Amino acid sequence: MSDRSQLIETGIPFTFDAQRDAEFERLVKRYPTRESMILPALWLAQEQEGWISAEAMGYIADRIGTFASQVFEVATFYTMYNLHPMGKNHICICRTLSCYLLGKQEIVDYLKHDLGIKPGEVSEDGQFSLEEVECLGHCGTAPVVQVNGEFYENMNVDKLKELLATLK
Amino acid sequence: MAEKVKLFVNGQEVEVESGKNLIDAIGAVGIEIPHLCYHPALGADGNCRMCLVGIEDGRPPLVPACKTNVAEGMKVQLDTEKIKKIQRDIMELELINHPIDCPICDQAGECKLQDYYMQYDGQKSRMTVPPVLKAKHMDFGAGVVHDQERCILCARCVRFTRLITKTGELGIVNRTDYARVTTFPGRPLSNRYALNVVDLCPVGAMTSKDFRFKQRAWFLTKSESLCHGCSKGCNIYIDHNKEKYQDDIIYRFRPRLNQQVNGYFMCDAGRMTYKLENDNRLNTAQVFGKETSLNETVEALRRSFSQAKKTVLLVSPNCSLEQMHAVKKLSATFNTVLSGYSDGYINAGDGDDFLIHDDKSANRTAFALLGIESSKSAFEAALDGADLLVSFQNDLCRSLDDVTLAKIQEKTKFVYIGSYQNGFSEKASIILPVASYSEDIGTLINADNILQRYVKAVIKNVQVSNLIHVVNLLGGEIKNHEEALTDLSATIAALNNIDLKHIPSEGIALTGKEVSNVAA
Repeated sequence: MSDRSQLIETGIPFTFDAQRDAEFERLVKRYPTRESMILPALWLAQEQEGWISAEAMGYIADRIGTFASQVFEVATFYTMYNLHPMGKNHICICRTLSCYLLGKQEIVDYLKHDLGIKPGEVSEDGQFSLEEVECLGHCGTAPVVQVNGEFYENMNVDKLKELLATLK
Repeated sequence: MAEKVKLFVNGQEVEVESGKNLIDAIGAVGIEIPHLCYHPALGADGNCRMCLVGIEDGRPPLVPACKTNVAEGMKVQLDTEKIKKIQRDIMELELINHPIDCPICDQAGECKLQDYYMQYDGQKSRMTVPPVLKAKHMDFGAGVVHDQERCILCARCVRFTRLITKTGELGIVNRTDYARVTTFPGRPLSNRYALNVVDLCPVGAMTSKDFRFKQRAWFLTKSESLCHGCSKGCNIYIDHNKEKYQDDIIYRFRPRLNQQVNGYFMCDAGRMTYKLENDNRLNTAQVFGKETSLNETVEALRRSFSQAKKTVLLVSPNCSLEQMHAVKKLSATFNTVLSGYSDGYINAGDGDDFLIHDDKSANRTAFALLGIESSKSAFEAALDGADLLVSFQNDLCRSLDDVTLAKIQEKTKFVYIGSYQNGFSEKASIILPVASYSEDIGTLINADNILQRYVKAVIKNVQVSNLIHVVNLLGGEIKNHEEALTDLSATIAALNNIDLKHIPSEGIALTGKEVSNVAA
C-alpha cells in the first residue's frame, strides 16, 4: 500500500473518444443511479489512455454529475486503476499466497534484473512497467503473470524469457 | 412531548425519549456514550466503533449505539470488561499514526481524542513501527487548514460537504493507513459554510486559518449571544478572553445549537463579523472634531435638540427591540420624526435557502412590530426642512451615496450615536460611542419572527454607556433595559402575553399575524 493521492495533471483537457463516449452512454442506462458509473467510466478512461489523470477524473465527475472528490476516492481506493503512465507492456505478477508459495519471487527478481526496474516503476524507454498485484484468481495454475490483461499461467523463469522475447 | 420509554443502563433504570438512538436518548439524561463519528446533524455512520455497547437480548454481542434505537425494557451494558477493552483498543488504533502534538494543537482542551484517551485508554504506546507520515497545514481553501496526521477519518467533514452544503469538495482517498482527507486538485473548499467543518472535527485536524494558534481553548470564556450578520439570527457562542493587562478581546464566533433557528451551523461571513466587534470601534465622544466627555457631549446634544427646528431620528435595524422602543419614546417626547430607513443593509440576491438572508441586519422585523416607518420615500419626506439628523447605530452611508449625503448635510446637522467607525460617523459633527451588542443585553426578532435574547459577553477595560442610558440622558422616558421590557409588554399588543424577561434559550416563535397586525 502506498499514497496514491498525488495525482498527475497533464494540463490537457480530457474527453472520451467516440467509441468510449458511445460505450459510456450504453452503460449508463444499466444502473439505477448515475453515480454507479464511476467504476466503469474510470475503466473506460484507463482503456483509452492506459492510465487516469486528474483531468480524466474531473471529466468523469462532471460527465456523471457527481463530486470530483468521490471519483478521486474510488480511483485511489482500487489499486488496479493506474494513476501514472504505464509502459507499453504492463506486467503484473501475482504476489498472493499460491503464487507466493510457487515461486513468484524468482519471476520478480528476474524481471527486476532483466528490465532494470522495480515493481511500481516504468522502464526509461517506456516499453515496460512492472507491478506486484493481489490475487488474480488463477491459483490453480500459479504462479501467474498478466501482460496487458492477458494471462500466462504456470510460469517460471524459462517461460518468462520466451515471453519477453516476443515483447521486445 | 415525545413519548418516553424505560430502559436499564448498567442495571439502573432510566426514562428516556423514544424514537432516538442510544447516544442521544441516554445522553439527554446525562449518561455519556463515547463517540467520534456520530453527529446528530450528520446521522449515524458507524465507522469509528467507539460507541459499541452491549444489549442483553440475544443480539450480536456488541452493537453501535449510534445505530441502535432505544426500546422499552432494553438492557444496555456500557461498562463490561469487554467494552472497556474495545474502547482501549480503538484508542490505541487511532493513536498509531497520530502525531500527539497536543501542546501546539488548537483543538487541545476541546478534543474528543484527548478526552477519550484520558477517560478510556491511558496506556503507553506498544507501537514499534514508524508511523505513516502525512501532510501538515494543507490549505483547503475558504479559511480551512487541514492536518492529515491528526485526522481520525470519522468523515464528519466529508459528510458535511456532501449532505449539508451539497458541494462535496472533501473526500477520503487511498485506503488502509494511507487513507486521508483531501480535496480534488483545483477544486478547493468553496462554500459559504466551510468553517463548520472546523467545529465538526472531533479532533484538531480541521483548523481555522483565522483562529489557529491565537488562543488555547481553555482560556476562552464562552458567552451565549446572537449573530448580527443577517436577519437569520443564528445562535452563537462569543469566545473571548481578557489576558492580563490586556483588553477583553473576541477571538471567534461559533454556532450554538438552536433547532428552531440555525441548527448546529452558521455561515462563514457571520462567523467573521466578530472582527467588527474588536476593530473599528468608536471609543471617544467628539463634538465638532474635539474629544469630549460623556456629560459635555450630552449637553451639546441637548442644545442641538432644543435649537433644531425639525429633528429626524434614524434608528438602525440592528438595534435591539428595547433600544428601538426607547428611541421611539424619545421621538414621541420631543415630537420628532422617527425613521428606520436602511435599504443599504439589504443585499438583494445574496441569500440562500439555508441560513444566509439578503437582509444584513438582525432586527428589521421589529420595525413592523413597533410601527417604525423605514421606506425611502418617508425618510426623504422627513428630511424636508429638517436641520438635525440623529442616527442611532444606523450607517446611512450604506443606503445613500456621498453626493446625496453631501446635499442633505448642507441643510442638516449629522449626529451619530453608535459603536462603530463608519462612513456616517466620519461625517457626523457630534459623535457619541455606545456599547455594541457583545457588551450589552437585548432582544431581537429574526426574519422568521422568532424572538430571541442575547446577553452581555464582553467587558471592555473602558466601558461606554449603553444606548438606552444615552437616550435616557437625552430626555428619553425609558431609564433602562428592564423598564423597556416592562413597557414593551404593556404597550405592544403582540407582546402582551409574553414574559420578555424570561425568554427561553430557543427563543419564542411569534406568529406572523401578530407582527403584521401591529404594523397595519
